[in-house]
Amino acid sequence: MNATMPDAPLALLLRRPDEVARRCREDDRLRPLAATSLGAILVGAAAFGGTLGTFRGGHQIAFAALKVPLAVTVTLAITVPAFYALATAAGRTFSLRTSVALVLAALGRASLLLLATAPVLWLAIDLGLGYHASAVLAAALYAFAGALALSVLVRGLGEGRGRVATAFAFVVLLAGVGAQTAWSLRPFLVRPTATDVPFVRETEGSFADAVVKSMRSSVGIYDAVWTGSRAVGAAGERAADSGTGWTTRGED
Amino acid sequence: MLEMETARTDTAAQPPLATHTSTPLPLPPATRTLASSLVGPTGADEGIAREAARFGGALLAAGLLGVALGTRDGGASIARHALGAPAALLVVGGVGVPALCIALSLLGVPVAPSRVVALASRGAGVTGVVLAGLAPAVALFVVTSAAPGTAAVAAAIALATAGGLGLSRMLSCLARDLDRVDSATRGLAHVAVGGFALFAAALAARVWWMALPILHGGVS
Repeated sequence: MNATMPDAPLALLLRRPDEVARRCREDDRLRPLAATSLGAILVGAAAFGGTLGTFRGGHQIAFAALKVPLAVTVTLAITVPAFYALATAAGRTFSLRTSVALVLAALGRASLLLLATAPVLWLAIDLGLGYHASAVLAAALYAFAGALALSVLVRGLGEGRGRVATAFAFVVLLAGVGAQTAWSLRPFLVRPTATDVPFVRETEGSFADAVVKSMRSSVGIYDAVWTGSRAVGAAGERAADSGTGWTTRGED
Repeated sequence: MLEMETARTDTAAQPPLATHTSTPLPLPPATRTLASSLVGPTGADEGIAREAARFGGALLAAGLLGVALGTRDGGASIARHALGAPAALLVVGGVGVPALCIALSLLGVPVAPSRVVALASRGAGVTGVVLAGLAPAVALFVVTSAAPGTAAVAAAIALATAGGLGLSRMLSCLARDLDRVDSATRGLAHVAVGGFALFAAALAARVWWMALPILHGGVS
């Protein structure tokens, strides 16, 4: 064995996505790799979330530091079955254990990038970057980190037909689920002037709805938006009774 | 002195710390998993009993997506969608596949109807596995999206993806079987298979539209 080859799981996650993929596929020293990946998710995502929270400060730092790792781990739990299914459909007969390991390692690697970019985000906020610009920068860094997950997954799928298509399909799914999960757990960035800082806002539309609305708003088209509550049970019934749920809203 | 020179040369010849060669991993070896047993092999048939069990498993797996779709409204909606999601597989398998078998037989294609049925069950297996795998993601969108249209779109994308992959699997295996047929017959067979693909897609879409109320979300 080459004495210069990194063997510690953390070093492997950073430098050797091919070795990470191999260990996941062959169930080779998987436990320390999985533990390190999970630790990277919790620490990296918490650091990124806490940095987002510094925009407002106070309780929001703790709230966001708690919610970003939650968003990543929920995304992990939701996308693993999809990866398992898509890989099987593409002729890769992984066990569920291997699928979990690959996706966990992929997101662990992505979270290390979140940890690395947290200081950049903090500096930008500290230098006075505005609310919308901060949101765009944070979203871009989050998306870029997600793209980094691809390196482990593509290698894990191995050579052969359907590799790129499967990886692409999964990354699209990962992006969608990651975005919707984050949307469901918002707010992360809160304006400093906001008096009420909820831990989680009520369901309003979806991430895709928000993107479409923003694009249309940017060209002067203001849509009627769904503001009806999705609360479950009696609260939901009261919300349904109160109106149609559709209102016309101007610029956010 | 000579040994020191050799040692220095050896040190200089060692690769830098971060250098490594990355060898692409091969396809993973075939292992038996629940999903792979539903998807089935691409090669020889495994008998009618096994294919029937595979098709049944595919229906159950597809039902998981139905359960996910029903969580938006809860209650009876869960049962309704759980029955509606596999309905398209049942209808396409029961109506479309026999028609394809008849068409291929009339064209003189030397592919046994049992082979076509086996490939159809494997295609259904792929659809079922992908629907089951996408169920958690779809549940996220249908539960957390306020607008009905978003939930409908998420459901439609999952159904289209799974249906497309299953159909693709069936037809690609059938196309390989047609390679040993003469070119004229093969051409006609491809037309029949292409027609089946269009019919199956349209029929599945129609059945799902009728059987899954969530797809009507935001559309009057």
